[in-house]
Amino acid sequence: MDWAGWALFGLLATAVLTGLMIAAQLGGLSRLDLPLILGTVVTPDPDRARAAGGVMHLAVGQVFALGYTAAFALLGQATWWLGGLLGLLHGAVALTVLVPMLVGVHPRMASERAGPASTSVLEPPGLLALNYGTQTPLVTLAAHLAYGMSLGLLLGVR
Amino acid sequence: MRPPIEDYGLLGDTRTAALVDSDGSVDWLCIPHFDGLPVFGRLVGGAAAGSFRLGPRHPAEVVARGYRTDTATLETTWRTDTGRLTLTEGMVAEVAGQLLPATMLVRRLTAPDGPVEAVIAFDPRFGERRRAPRTEHRSQLLVCVWGTVAVALRTTPTAAVQPGRPTTVTVTPDRPFTCVMSVAHREPLVCLDTDTAWDALQGDEARWQAWCRDIDDALPYRQAVVRSLLTLRLLTYSPSGAPVAAPTTSLPEVLGGVRNWDYRFAWPRDASIGIDAFLGAGKHDEARAFMAWLVSATRLDRPRIPVLLTLHGKHPRPERELAGWPGYADSTPVRSGNAAAGQHQLDGYGWVLDAAWRMGEAGYPLYAETWRTMAGFADRVADRWREPDAGIWEVRSDTVHHVHSKLMAWLALDRALSIATHHRTSARRTSRWRAERAALREDIERRGFDEARGTYTRSYGSSETDAALLVLPQLGFHPADSPRVRGTIAAVVSELGAGSPLLYRYPSGRDGLPGVEGAFLPCSFWLVQALARGGRAGEADTLFRDLLALAGPLGLYAEEMDPATREYLGNYPQALTHAALVQAAVALRAEGAGHVTDPRGAVPVAEDAP
Repeated sequence: MDWAGWALFGLLATAVLTGLMIAAQLGGLSRLDLPLILGTVVTPDPDRARAAGGVMHLAVGQVFALGYTAAFALLGQATWWLGGLLGLLHGAVALTVLVPMLVGVHPRMASERAGPASTSVLEPPGLLALNYGTQTPLVTLAAHLAYGMSLGLLLGVR
Repeated sequence: MRPPIEDYGLLGDTRTAALVDSDGSVDWLCIPHFDGLPVFGRLVGGAAAGSFRLGPRHPAEVVARGYRTDTATLETTWRTDTGRLTLTEGMVAEVAGQLLPATMLVRRLTAPDGPVEAVIAFDPRFGERRRAPRTEHRSQLLVCVWGTVAVALRTTPTAAVQPGRPTTVTVTPDRPFTCVMSVAHREPLVCLDTDTAWDALQGDEARWQAWCRDIDDALPYRQAVVRSLLTLRLLTYSPSGAPVAAPTTSLPEVLGGVRNWDYRFAWPRDASIGIDAFLGAGKHDEARAFMAWLVSATRLDRPRIPVLLTLHGKHPRPERELAGWPGYADSTPVRSGNAAAGQHQLDGYGWVLDAAWRMGEAGYPLYAETWRTMAGFADRVADRWREPDAGIWEVRSDTVHHVHSKLMAWLALDRALSIATHHRTSARRTSRWRAERAALREDIERRGFDEARGTYTRSYGSSETDAALLVLPQLGFHPADSPRVRGTIAAVVSELGAGSPLLYRYPSGRDGLPGVEGAFLPCSFWLVQALARGGRAGEADTLFRDLLALAGPLGLYAEEMDPATREYLGNYPQALTHAALVQAAVALRAEGAGHVTDPRGAVPVAEDAP
């Protein structure tokens, strides 16, 4: 295991992923805002939530990077295309499992079954996070592809 | 024979809604959401589009019909040859945290006087093609399946129900007939017994009653206001907080005509008006939820405010006509989607910024992100107010310089400047807003006011007026009792009057479409507000009472009314009309007018009572 590479490149890859997601928001492609979603677990103020969520997102990215680094070590090679494949898998799991699971655990996220008593104001992501815009699945897959390729490339070079 | 629109009652769960007529027939229900596909579509799709009737076997007179007090549960009682038969029905709104279907319709027949023969006719058809389901009987359950959508029906006592075939049942005093319809969409069916479903409905009733208790006791005509607020809440899609303009598509604005639009979308304008209505009635959580929806839903389009959005803030699919759908009263086409989504409507910015300002006035300062959003909207107004727009009425002919739109643009900048005093905003930006606001005023006064007639006009250079101008007293553009405001109100009443208390929204037939539409009910409630704010509270109160007398038998309002026959027209029930009713009541309260009634009973309370 390349621990130093994991520590540094995990951070870099997460920054790339976050940057792409923010660019997609600014470009009007998606309303999926992971720092906001994560941060509103601890505060309702969107600006404070983004700050807290940004840190949380980096930490989560680092945890996932550990999985990537371990996978590269097991396979005996770290390449951009292998990272890309893992990234696509990661993105698909995020869209179909992780993001929909938030509805069950997030204190401020409504569910598709929300009724009048619901005080949750964050809308649920829906199938493949499509509630946040029809381009959201593509944006998410692309961002995770870039995340995996960055890790594979950087760890491979090292 | 088709029931009149006002005959329909609204059953809802804040995710979707059904319309049921006084014969006990559910003629409209889209699943799984308001903007989903109809499973009962007879309202505009003919008999082939499906319905679900539960009622007396033979024709019988309706002797009582209404909502249980402060609930969304509807009761209809018929007198039959063998005694009374009562249908109690509703949808269950609060299903979170319980193993209940997300969509469930509960209906119970009781016969207190003796055995009564009733009929159940369950005929679900799905989607545009009105497809019959694949059906199967599982124990006591009838299951209808269309791919990933399933509908289950259970009855107690068990009846051998076959889709499309009426089944006769006998209801006795000690043996009510209860049925529950559950819907599953991309998930397993939750098969409930009818007792559990009935308990869930009663739990919902208690929650709605508690919800209504929070409504300001001092509001005049409180019962009507409560029904309107409850209707507004039923038309709010809880998962995202989106306000649905109406649960229907293509109920005609002219019987037999082509003015048939799909209203199963959310208009930011309506959310803003809803914020004002809920704040005025003391329901602040609902107002805050609308603001949260506005900020979230407009995110992909900032700094543009889209005219309308889907329930999850997406752009609707292109408008199209449903082939073979006969429409209500032969009014074709039946449309899905709304082409107004592509229009530029300047007035929307004024409504939204006004709502943000009202939130601040009510003690809810804007988050920094919300302010950035609002400031972006104000910049957009400053950039584009010189362009023509489609206006509030979404007329599909050429764009023009609507005076109402310009006034709302002025309001947007005015409210932005007011909010900016509490938020960090660059001096350059506020200077620009101030300069554009002044330029707007000058432009409106110079090009939008008819000196000879003493009224603001429909558009620059026009000789017509526009009932949307009735919002003028609310804007602070001029004092509410100023000659220009009074002159405009007088011109609207005299030129657009459709027989008191009704008003057309613009001169008849001046929208490029064939036929003459009905009177536009929200405008009459805006007139109540205008009169109240202009110091004419007595007239406002009289007008308001006249309008309450025009409510449907269940206290619901459509968008329009035929001035001659007093039949409802347009999509129903209409959120904008109900929001305008609440705003009018709030305006009457502010002026000390209106008839205050005991909120928990029918006993009138004198306004000076201790």
